Amino acid sequence: MADLHLDNVSKSFGTLEVIRNVCLDVAHGEFIVFVGPSGCGKSTLLRLITGLESVTGGRIFIGGVDVTQVRPSDRRVAMVFQSYALFPHLTVAENIGFGLRLAKRPAAVIRQRVDAVARTLRIKDLLDRKPGQLSGGQRQRVAIGRSIIRSPEVFLFDEPLSNLDAALRVLMRLEITRLHNRLQATMIFVTHDQTEAMTLADRIYVFNQGRIEQSGTPMDLYNSPSNRFVAGFIGSPAMNFLPGKVEQTGDHMMLKIGSTRLRLDQSFTSVSHREISVGIRPEHLRVVESSAGHVRAEVEIIEELGAEVIAYLQIEGISDPITIRLPPQRHVVPGQQVGVRFASEHFHLFGSNGTRLC
Amino acid sequence: MAETTVSVPSVAPFNPWKVVLLICVGCLALLFLAPTVGVLLSSIKTTREIAFGELWTIPGTIYWGNFIEVLTNPSVPQYFLNTIFVTLPATILSIILGVLAGYVFSKLPFAGSNLLFLVIISGMFFPPQVILIPLFQFFNSLGLIDTLWPIICVHTALGIPICTLLMRNFFATVPNALREAAILEGANEWQVLIRVALPLSLPAIAVLATLQFTWIWNDFLWPLIFTQSDEKRTIMVGIVNLKGQYSVAWGVQGALSLIASLPTLIVFLFFQRYFIKGMTMGAVKG
Amino acid sequence: MERSALYWRVVLLAAPVTVFAVLVIWPLFSSFFYSFTNWNGFNPEYDFVGLENFAKIGSDRLFIGAIINTTIWMVAAILLPTLLGLALALLLDSKVPGGPIFKTLFYLPICLSAVVVGQIWIWIYQADWGLLNTVIRAVSGSSFNYAWLAKPDTSLGSVIVAWSWQQTGLSMVIFLAGLTSIPNDLLEVCEIEGASTWQRIRIVLIPLLTPATVVVVALSVINSLKGFDILYIMTGGGPFHSSDTLAMHMYNESFKKYLMGYGSAISVVLFLIALTIIRIYFRNLKKVDEIYG
Repeated sequence: MADLHLDNVSKSFGTLEVIRNVCLDVAHGEFIVFVGPSGCGKSTLLRLITGLESVTGGRIFIGGVDVTQVRPSDRRVAMVFQSYALFPHLTVAENIGFGLRLAKRPAAVIRQRVDAVARTLRIKDLLDRKPGQLSGGQRQRVAIGRSIIRSPEVFLFDEPLSNLDAALRVLMRLEITRLHNRLQATMIFVTHDQTEAMTLADRIYVFNQGRIEQSGTPMDLYNSPSNRFVAGFIGSPAMNFLPGKVEQTGDHMMLKIGSTRLRLDQSFTSVSHREISVGIRPEHLRVVESSAGHVRAEVEIIEELGAEVIAYLQIEGISDPITIRLPPQRHVVPGQQVGVRFASEHFHLFGSNGTRLC
Repeated sequence: MAETTVSVPSVAPFNPWKVVLLICVGCLALLFLAPTVGVLLSSIKTTREIAFGELWTIPGTIYWGNFIEVLTNPSVPQYFLNTIFVTLPATILSIILGVLAGYVFSKLPFAGSNLLFLVIISGMFFPPQVILIPLFQFFNSLGLIDTLWPIICVHTALGIPICTLLMRNFFATVPNALREAAILEGANEWQVLIRVALPLSLPAIAVLATLQFTWIWNDFLWPLIFTQSDEKRTIMVGIVNLKGQYSVAWGVQGALSLIASLPTLIVFLFFQRYFIKGMTMGAVKG
Repeated sequence: MERSALYWRVVLLAAPVTVFAVLVIWPLFSSFFYSFTNWNGFNPEYDFVGLENFAKIGSDRLFIGAIINTTIWMVAAILLPTLLGLALALLLDSKVPGGPIFKTLFYLPICLSAVVVGQIWIWIYQADWGLLNTVIRAVSGSSFNYAWLAKPDTSLGSVIVAWSWQQTGLSMVIFLAGLTSIPNDLLEVCEIEGASTWQRIRIVLIPLLTPATVVVVALSVINSLKGFDILYIMTGGGPFHSSDTLAMHMYNESFKKYLMGYGSAISVVLFLIALTIIRIYFRNLKKVDEIYG
């Protein structure tokens, strides 16, 4: 049974359509990440699931029950806000036990449950503090504590890590994964950061302009993006896109990139003389002697990251620079003339409308 | 697979609470409005009608006699002129002084500037009666009692705290980089203040202008202390004075109150947003 | 560079600081000075009388009465406009249709002068045709005729009601500003966690309005200490000094009896009371800041 099922959900604000006919299914215990650029509707979708916004079309099922018209508090969802949304006048313990207090549970029960949650999140010695006295990471834990205490059906996280600094973000990411492993609960996590999406998710939904572009496991999306948007969005550094032209030469299909021609494999037969976009990830390019490459290029900028080197090269006849991921021992210097070899088995070909060709 | 039993209270399209709330607010509004309506009604009724208990009924015909009486009273235009002569200069001067001080406190702080700022701000909180006697003595020794000068001076001085506070807070929102860029271009502080900070601060000045205008126009204490003769009175003291003349002419008193309040009412209705902003800004950041 | 900054500080601060010092700070200190004299207001000669004026305060029956009235006035000024303003703000915050119009209505009295407000309320309390008695007569059917302002038992209370009528709008606006500054996601937490309207108000809104409340209470107290105009208009402190406040008493002693020295002593007391309140206010503001930052 799906824990969460969205059936053709739409949302418009006036004439502005923010969510367009979204259908999705989340199984029990799955960790789902909604990812997309800002303004793609992912946060709105989360708010529709909580009931903070009401849908303008479609239905929402949580735990098999149609909750489309149900008040947020009766949907058995919990949400962790980007700002943590902790009450400044309540102590950590009171913040965590907030929902139980509203439900008028006995004080002893609340105390006991709060203690248990605090132990899980290792914030037991903070219980008497006020949020103002906590660090960002600690506030984050308290916010998570408030969400888990009611054992909801679905956990929702709205960009919870974006207010943390880089180091803490990595730590909290691990923390959330650990929490998910322990609770085995259904979690939906919204972020605009594809690294977070890749590292956390069982499955990712990529959103763009209010629609799902693609869903699948992180590696599915990485290895076979179904369109140019997903290809460009997932992966860091981002995939290179080179303008290419498909030509028929005899019984072969040839792909022309800049000044070079590459032979395409047999499966690619359907198009001819077509302007296409050739996607290739930075790790699928090799820098070679200038005479040995498919194309010639000039090294423009080098970023040494320690474990690897990111090089930006300008290919003759192609305006946008390309990114290449190199091993650290590989020495190139800006201004150097080099050759670039493509691993053509890793090409992702996209038509001019962005759809995948093969 | 057992369906979990979740209660499904649907969101009602019609919320009866809204109606109850509206009725509550409406009743309170009526209660709040009654006094003002009373003045309006009194001004268009004859003294006879009022005395016979017909003040609170909707009039069949409007009686303009009260307004005619007020407008033909030679004292009233004099009161108005006096009030304008006090209110306009005092408003403008206090804002100018507030702009100068506020600029220094926000953009040129120095050791002890916070303390000086606090001293000035605290002037807002003290009852004016505390400085009443020395000021009376001071202006008396200058021979300025029964002129408009002391009122102008005192209102200018008493306006400095609020003007300084609001201007400092507003100037604080003008990015320092703007000032620094202007200085790198060769501007001096005065030019920065006049050409950069001030044009950006017009909203704050509008707020102060509405506040100061209303307060000074409505003030009663200072003109009461500093003026004695009828031709120097401001409108608020004038009303009280004319009460003797029209002791049972309630309608005339109503018309007088209405006319005296007209300038502040107009300012309030047109600049309400600024007014409220000033009240809350001054209060919350105090 | 540093030198020119100093130059500009001096140039820009000269006018405001001079005006403020001459017309506010200096008179404040002279008040202390005059409080040790028996100056009568017009005679250039006066004697130092030491603490005599302050000693007189202790035995001044009218002063004690004024202190009591000021306290009553202050407590009422805290309770009535604050509670009413809070109630109105919460009502208007819940998206009542016509909200902005109501807001203007409730706020309107603040732009009226004390003189006009006093005038209005004198008529409400008027014995023969005042609104209050008219309503009471209509409800009870009796021929009720009571001069609210002319009776020592009700004079102060009647003025307090008029005062509260004018001040409530101010409290309401500050509370409304406080409500808008509450982050939306805190309210959404209430929605997700299932808070009832009453729980929302009690557990969340009112505590989160603490900064606004501190401001409202402080303003009410401070404004009530200044409260003079409306009393002067409505009762003149009477009848039989039943509605005298410190400010009123000080005016009477100084400008009616021309006991400027004694009046100064009263104003010094007024100053000390205000100073105490302001210190409490700033201390609380600091505490509030620590939590609500």
